[in-house]
Amino acid sequence: MAKPDKSVEIINPPNMLKAKVGGKLPPADQAAIERAEMALGQIKHQFQDWLAEEVTKMEALMDSVSQDGLLGESGEMLFTCAHDLRGLGSTYEFPIISRISGSLAKLIETKQRRSIAPIALVRAHASSIRAALIQNIRSDEDPVGRQLAEELETQVVALVGAD
Amino acid sequence: MKPSDAYLTLDRMTVLIVDDNAPLRGILRTILHAMGAARIYEASDVPAAMDILQHEHLDLLICDWKMKPVDGIELVRWVRNPAKSPCATLPILMLTCYADAERVKRARDAGVTEFMVKPFSPESIYQHISSMFRKPRRFVDSKSFFGPDRRRKMDSRIGDDRRVRSGVKS
Repeated sequence: MAKPDKSVEIINPPNMLKAKVGGKLPPADQAAIERAEMALGQIKHQFQDWLAEEVTKMEALMDSVSQDGLLGESGEMLFTCAHDLRGLGSTYEFPIISRISGSLAKLIETKQRRSIAPIALVRAHASSIRAALIQNIRSDEDPVGRQLAEELETQVVALVGAD
Repeated sequence: MKPSDAYLTLDRMTVLIVDDNAPLRGILRTILHAMGAARIYEASDVPAAMDILQHEHLDLLICDWKMKPVDGIELVRWVRNPAKSPCATLPILMLTCYADAERVKRARDAGVTEFMVKPFSPESIYQHISSMFRKPRRFVDSKSFFGPDRRRKMDSRIGDDRRVRSGVKS
């Protein structure tokens, strides 16, 4: 029989919240979730403005990249911005922006990828994101939005692969 | 269970949200506040988060991965270092845009309790928090690792209802 490894200790940390509550925690609390959805509903009117701010930030970085190329700091910052937009787009009810931003992030994720990424393709992503916002194309249920996203993704996959 | 009993689940909770995006922190704050969280702290970067962690007693840390000048994984490593951190067993929910198995594994190896991929909804946030406290993971303290037992597969729901294969060995 193998000897127990004395260099490994197992700890059961105190469940502080459970101790505070003093009882069982429910697996679901529909009332709490509904309250949160209602509260979220009250700030939803700001989502598009917040998203527009992020897109403006991305466009400013796009301008820098157009001048300095993708290999400098601007290229990395543009990736970070695309990465953020990937998460924010759907949160702000524009899943098509998440999709296109995801494609852009994939295209320029590493320095090696940024070294081969055509600026025109990077710009096409940025322009599509702005267009989706201006034309209020929110999801890929819109045929134009879907076609655009698919075309951009196809070109990115052709360059950097499917992973 | 009466709704008023259920409300007690979060109403004594103190949470720290670390994300460099202010509107996103605001959304999380709105959700947690509506769910009844008693105190919610915010930090826009890791140094500010460390400062709060050193001075406040928290029940939960929600952090983003990609931040400057230090990323969220470094914050997790700092929290899970008992020599440096005042709260090495604090439950940590990593909220990020990264969805690939490699990232999930890196988060697990750093000591993240749960991993959640953006976008999120009030329901998915609640489920992750509830899961962490209803099914707390035991901790492993060894020479090379301090953190939640990695032999239990980390819950890694993507957004509302998508689910990713974490690739983490059970």
